[in-house]
Amino acid sequence: MNIRELLKWVLLLWMGLVIWAAFLYVPPADKFVGESSRIVFFHVPMAWIAVLAFLISCVASVLYLRRREPRHDIRAAVAAGLGLLFAILATVTGAVFARIMWGAYWNWDPRQTSIVILMVIYAAYFALRGAVPDPERRAALAAVYAILAFVTVPFLVFVVPRIYWSLHPDTIINTRGSNEFDSRHTQVLMASLAGFTGLFVWFYTIGCRVEAIRRRRQQEAL
Amino acid sequence: MTDPRRQRRIWYAVGGVLIVAFLAFGATSFKSNLTPYVSIEEAMRRPAKVQVKGSLVPDSTEYVEASQQLRFGLADGQGNTMPVLYAGTKPGNFEEATEIVAVGSYRNGAFHADQLLVKCPSKYQGLDEDPTKHASET
Repeated sequence: MNIRELLKWVLLLWMGLVIWAAFLYVPPADKFVGESSRIVFFHVPMAWIAVLAFLISCVASVLYLRRREPRHDIRAAVAAGLGLLFAILATVTGAVFARIMWGAYWNWDPRQTSIVILMVIYAAYFALRGAVPDPERRAALAAVYAILAFVTVPFLVFVVPRIYWSLHPDTIINTRGSNEFDSRHTQVLMASLAGFTGLFVWFYTIGCRVEAIRRRRQQEAL
Repeated sequence: MTDPRRQRRIWYAVGGVLIVAFLAFGATSFKSNLTPYVSIEEAMRRPAKVQVKGSLVPDSTEYVEASQQLRFGLADGQGNTMPVLYAGTKPGNFEEATEIVAVGSYRNGAFHADQLLVKCPSKYQGLDEDPTKHASET
């Protein structure tokens, strides 16, 4: 068994533990309806992964523009795709929570509006990729776009929700500088963040390999 | 002009300007349009359907039998209050709400809400530490 194989099993065990802990180790938080507070252990890591993936996409795009190596283009595209996926997951889990706690799935709350804008921006990235047939032109244009797209991320994810009043619960790093998480909640959230990061790294490496193979086969077919 | 290093520098400058422009655009255009919530003052001024946010006036909640409506006071931080009437069922976590959003319109001296949205304190702290608060959970 090589190290990669081993890490996969560690990840499986770790995520299993996180799920167990999220539902059975942590008590439901006070003043939340029923068990709804548990969604935080999945919703927050999903949002974190989305931001991380968009950052990687931006860094890979900068590298592509400097070195013009196709592998950086692959990295940027795969990371942006995963970022979009996790942003959608965070939005869906958020809407479920909103239904339970606020009383409606969707209310165009500043949080919800800003994530929709962000998803549209990254959806356009793929529209752009799909519209340019020449691989080198596509890679260069997409890289420039991905860098510009990332400029909006800190603004939409971190600034907007702190300027406007929102129904969204206070974030972990909040304006009052207080930590609203007790020790068990903190432990499980941190473990889940680590687990999701591991999961993302795994998805990302697989995604890059698949995309590289796909391109090689495409070239061979020509 | 054909010096590639110089050209590259120009592109960096263009890129930098674009990034700053994006930021400025974002900051200004979202500022007025991003939030659906209006103040009590604004809600009382116009009869249109709006979302008002405020906090529940303590002990103001009552059930009006005749019209089968929930009636409570909504207050903002600036000392304005207005009565809210709501015909639906009371949200389960209504009493715990730190802030309430009422969706509806103001007419005849009261805000008629079609929907209530509730914001609760976001303290991720277990019930175990204070079991007395876990009385009426359904």
